[in-house]
Amino acid sequence: MAVPDEVRLWSDELARDPSSLVFLPLAETLRRQGQLDMARKVALRGLERHPHNPDAHDQLARILADRGDLQAAFDEWDMVLRLVPGHTGAVKGMAFIRFQQGRKDEAERLLRQVQAHGDDSDITAAIGNLRFSGGVLAPKLPADSGDPRTLFTAVLASDQNGMLLDKAGLVFAGSYNTGGRDVAQDVGANLSGVSDEAFRASKHLGIGAWRAIVFETEAAVVALAPAPAQGALPEGGLVVVATSPGTPLGLLKRLLDRCLQRASSWLTGGGGA
Amino acid sequence: VSTNFTPVLDTLTRQRGVRASLVVSATDGITIESNLQIGQDGNRVAALAASLYRKARRSASAAGLGLTGFMHLEAEGGRLCIIGGDEIVLVVVADSDANVGLIRVEMLRAAESLA
Repeated sequence: MAVPDEVRLWSDELARDPSSLVFLPLAETLRRQGQLDMARKVALRGLERHPHNPDAHDQLARILADRGDLQAAFDEWDMVLRLVPGHTGAVKGMAFIRFQQGRKDEAERLLRQVQAHGDDSDITAAIGNLRFSGGVLAPKLPADSGDPRTLFTAVLASDQNGMLLDKAGLVFAGSYNTGGRDVAQDVGANLSGVSDEAFRASKHLGIGAWRAIVFETEAAVVALAPAPAQGALPEGGLVVVATSPGTPLGLLKRLLDRCLQRASSWLTGGGGA
Repeated sequence: VSTNFTPVLDTLTRQRGVRASLVVSATDGITIESNLQIGQDGNRVAALAASLYRKARRSASAAGLGLTGFMHLEAEGGRLCIIGGDEIVLVVVADSDANVGLIRVEMLRAAESLA
């Protein structure tokens, strides 16, 4: 990670010469530091002066993908491809977005498109992973491994994710695999706050205790429910299930119920993972 | 006074089990227009629903899940369905035995017509 001084130096240089390409490393550093709004601003300003620079579009696409603006990121990488046909990074990025959106066939088609234009071991490996895991780039651990991360493996398909979170949003069991990584901690921490808001809303609306929240996003359909306060898990925990976009909400609710049962059984020592 | 939202809210409120439907400002949770059954506090529903939806949108985005569309809160004594964008959200409060599938379809249709 760049030290803050580097950010300042690049910012100063950019101020001195606004047409400089130094906005590229500056935007990338800000992206890596998680300053996504600032990174986006820097990239957009750079693009105003360098509208035909493929690296600038690629940089903006990465920032947008990190912000969760999936379709906008896809469009930027599409622009890179128009400027540099066959740009491997752009195709990988577009495939990643399609994968995140649950359009796995399209993701594979994009990767094969690049593969046809020349052998790229990364592309071959990515296709292999996509096929091997039935859509999830990180293979899951077997259900009987005894690892808490496998708690919901027996009730969820390979492209579905389930987590048991404690009140603080920390992962108690389960996993959330996407893009080849287990991002359960990140997703769990971010989603856990929704339950506080749900508690508040249902209380003040006088509709009783909340039982579940379901919401549809670009990358997944997500269901949350209060976890059973049993065993080592105190009250305030959550069960989270995420499936690919387009999953029928009725099916998602059934999966959520099965995960709740599984969690209950596991917490009371009845096994599960 | 009839506005563009009036027929949309009328259609939603005609659904079985729907107690209230509202168009709400997404940023401040203030009611823009509502169609309420007796006993429903529109301002309270608007503020709480907008706040919940904003939180879900922010959380989903931060979690890398992209933009949020339809959202549904199920509670012991009722349901809250929300759909919207940066400026306005459409909110429905319904009984716990209401047909959420139908409400969702109508809300998606309504959101399209208001876009």
